[in-house]
Amino acid sequence: MTKVERVVIFSADQIAAYAEASGDHNPIHLDGDFARSVGLPGVIAHGMLQMGLLASVASDAAGGAGRLRRIYCRFAGMVEPGDTVTFAAEDAGPGKLALSAVNQRGEQVLTKASAEYL
Amino acid sequence: MGVEGKTYPAVSSVIEPARVAEFARAIGADLGDGVPPTFAAVYSLGATAPYLFGDPDAGVDFAKLLHADQEFEWERHPQLGETVTSRGHVVSDITRRGMRFLTFEAQTTGADGSKICRSRTLFVIRQ
Repeated sequence: MTKVERVVIFSADQIAAYAEASGDHNPIHLDGDFARSVGLPGVIAHGMLQMGLLASVASDAAGGAGRLRRIYCRFAGMVEPGDTVTFAAEDAGPGKLALSAVNQRGEQVLTKASAEYL
Repeated sequence: MGVEGKTYPAVSSVIEPARVAEFARAIGADLGDGVPPTFAAVYSLGATAPYLFGDPDAGVDFAKLLHADQEFEWERHPQLGETVTSRGHVVSDITRRGMRFLTFEAQTTGADGSKICRSRTLFVIRQ
């Protein structure tokens, strides 16, 4: 199996759309002033938005979303609007995938990421 | 310690096709591929975590909360229109060096009681 990759440039609109679709309206994702008041640089993407994008890449590598049986990741770095993240999945043995998410500075934003499929 | 072992009420929800379509669009997933796996963030984690956040015994300060890691494990994925039931519980609640580590799990089952998904989350709360 070849490596499956997807490059995503994050935007405030995309983060707001995910907040709406997921029901996670935590203001750190939507309100820059609030985010700064709790020590963040500004609004940040939901970890679950990043994981959703990672899972879509894992699904492609697994041969379909319905085959995915497990996914894990650690939310290691913040993703802000304007950041470019490369999500990747590659073969790690029968039914196993090694996953990664790396930003434009080469930093891993999701770590220890893996998946299993049928 | 804390709320370790505490179980919260079960929540039933319908896997609404329009909601799934909106979710799939937001993560750029192919709708033809069925319910996106991490829609579990809605029907499993999302349905149950509000009980934890709203629990005065748990005393979670939302402004100091970090979603540190996440695992989903599926027996199968839910179908569009299916009614599922999720129940959350606190696996462990440990405070160490000014940080609180709360492991929260949700089990999702179908109408017949069959297993669909297990969601396991580590929340870190700065003290």
